[in-house]
Amino acid sequence: MHMATSELRGSSLKLTRIESVSADATVRHVDQLESETLDTFYTALEGNRPITTAEIGLNAGDIIVGPEYYRVDLM
Amino acid sequence: MTQYVIIGDGISGSSAAETLREKDPDAQITVITDEGEPLYNRILIKEHAKGKLPEAPISIHDEGWYEERDIDLSLNTHVTSVDTDAKVVHTHDSGDLEYDKLLVATGGTPTQLPVDNSDADGIHHFWTFEDARGIREHAEQSDTGVIVGAGLLGIDFAAVCGAQGIEANYLMRGDRWWRYALSADGAEIMHEGMRDVGVEPVFDSGVDHFETDDDGHVTAAVDPNDERYECDFAGVAIGLSFNTEFLRGAGLEEENGLIVDEFMQTNVDDVYAAGDLTRFYDVLLGEQAQNGSWGSAKEQGRIAAVNMAADDEAEQFEWVSSYSITHFDFPFLSFGHPTLGDDYAERKYSDTEWRRIAFKDGKIVGGVLIGDLSPQTAFKQLMREQRVVADQKEVLLEPSVDLDELAPTQEQ
Ligand SMILES: Cc1cc2nc3c(=O)[nH]c(=O)nc-3n(C[C@H](O)[C@H](O)[C@H](O)COP(=O)(O)OP(=O)(O)OC[C@H]3O[C@@H](n4cnc5c(N)ncnc54)[C@H](O)[C@@H]3O)c2cc1C
Repeated sequence: MHMATSELRGSSLKLTRIESVSADATVRHVDQLESETLDTFYTALEGNRPITTAEIGLNAGDIIVGPEYYRVDLM
Repeated sequence: MTQYVIIGDGISGSSAAETLREKDPDAQITVITDEGEPLYNRILIKEHAKGKLPEAPISIHDEGWYEERDIDLSLNTHVTSVDTDAKVVHTHDSGDLEYDKLLVATGGTPTQLPVDNSDADGIHHFWTFEDARGIREHAEQSDTGVIVGAGLLGIDFAAVCGAQGIEANYLMRGDRWWRYALSADGAEIMHEGMRDVGVEPVFDSGVDHFETDDDGHVTAAVDPNDERYECDFAGVAIGLSFNTEFLRGAGLEEENGLIVDEFMQTNVDDVYAAGDLTRFYDVLLGEQAQNGSWGSAKEQGRIAAVNMAADDEAEQFEWVSSYSITHFDFPFLSFGHPTLGDDYAERKYSDTEWRRIAFKDGKIVGGVLIGDLSPQTAFKQLMREQRVVADQKEVLLEPSVDLDELAPTQEQ
């Protein structure tokens, strides 16, 4: 399995695609994200625009369930 | 000291309890649920059933969460009736509870197909974490499946079959999936998504009856055209019946859901309702509406609590809901009320990109985005602003929506 990483230039966060989730992870579904956070999440996936921690409303280590599973990592 | 009773510990009831404690530190708050576990993430249980997510991250609150907030939690407690004159809640075997203000947040229960053998072993409905555990266990041992219910919950069964390697037929009544919101172009993208995971959509079908073996386990679904589809696993998601039977005689107005205003007040004093089971006054739509989604249920619980604590009409529910499908390699988002309205615009952009916008009185009231979700923020903003834009469909159908290209709002 490959790990797809969406690099977010000039930002403090990146989304890393993951294949499995540990029992102690914090997991959220995209429908739990605010509209703007959802937008930022998908924009970030496409790698189009840098994002910052404050803007995205996500914490490092969070796992987001979208079309794949992604972990929010500090860059 | 005010006594608040909340029936239901789903996201709407739980969010109300949290807000009540913030707003009224001294109040007595009781949350009653007939489930055996405190609030969990109902929108992630499908990931557990798919075999992708362990149990632990799906739990949201443990019992300590309620203790820390001095909220009484009654698990495994079924409310049997409510006396709104005496202001008492009766439970099956945990006695009676008096209230000053009551919140009904009891959601719904999946409807059974009214056909022979619809309660056979191996036929699943999907609402609770317990359901998800059973579905996962059985799906792991199954080879062939049938899915019924061409809507947002049925497709979760398709995803479970896909992820668990079950070869399945998805029997639909009309000529496409979710025909109330999607045209043939949009639906075909979803059908391809299903086929890619090994689920075959079957149109103009449905279930006339199920067949079982001698042990009462499902073996096939027979459709109204007499076609027989073998299956050792079946998933049925044809709709929800709201959990309101315990309110019989309580005087609450019901019309396929509990009627509430924009403050989540029912027609009976000091009784509020929130979540899936409400038919609420939607201030953006200008009429009563319904909404079965996580974000909306959470916000309704919060709004109900704000108004209960204020003993006033302090804040109204004003919300644009979202509902995503995350099972395929393209994203899908339904927002607002995509099946309502008097006008619409739609366009297909590629084999995996499609958009539909529904309008009422010229204003956007909902829509569906497949493949490219980038316009969602703009569309939701236009909904909140209640701007008349139906005469500018071309701008709204541009691949990249730029609100600055819209003509300035005319004075109404
Ligand atoms: C499989 C599945 C997938 C979903 N996917 C999504 C999604 O992707 N996105 C999205 O936005 N939404 C999704 N939803 C819908 C979302 O989960 C619901 O809209 C939301 O959880 C509703 O919350 P609620 O608090 O109104 O009701 P519920 O969560 O149903 O809570 C009601 C509670 O009340 C209890 N109760 C009922 N009657 C009584 C009684 N008489 N006495 C005591 N307790 C009682 C019930 O047991 C239940 O615990 C999904 C739902 C399911 C089932």
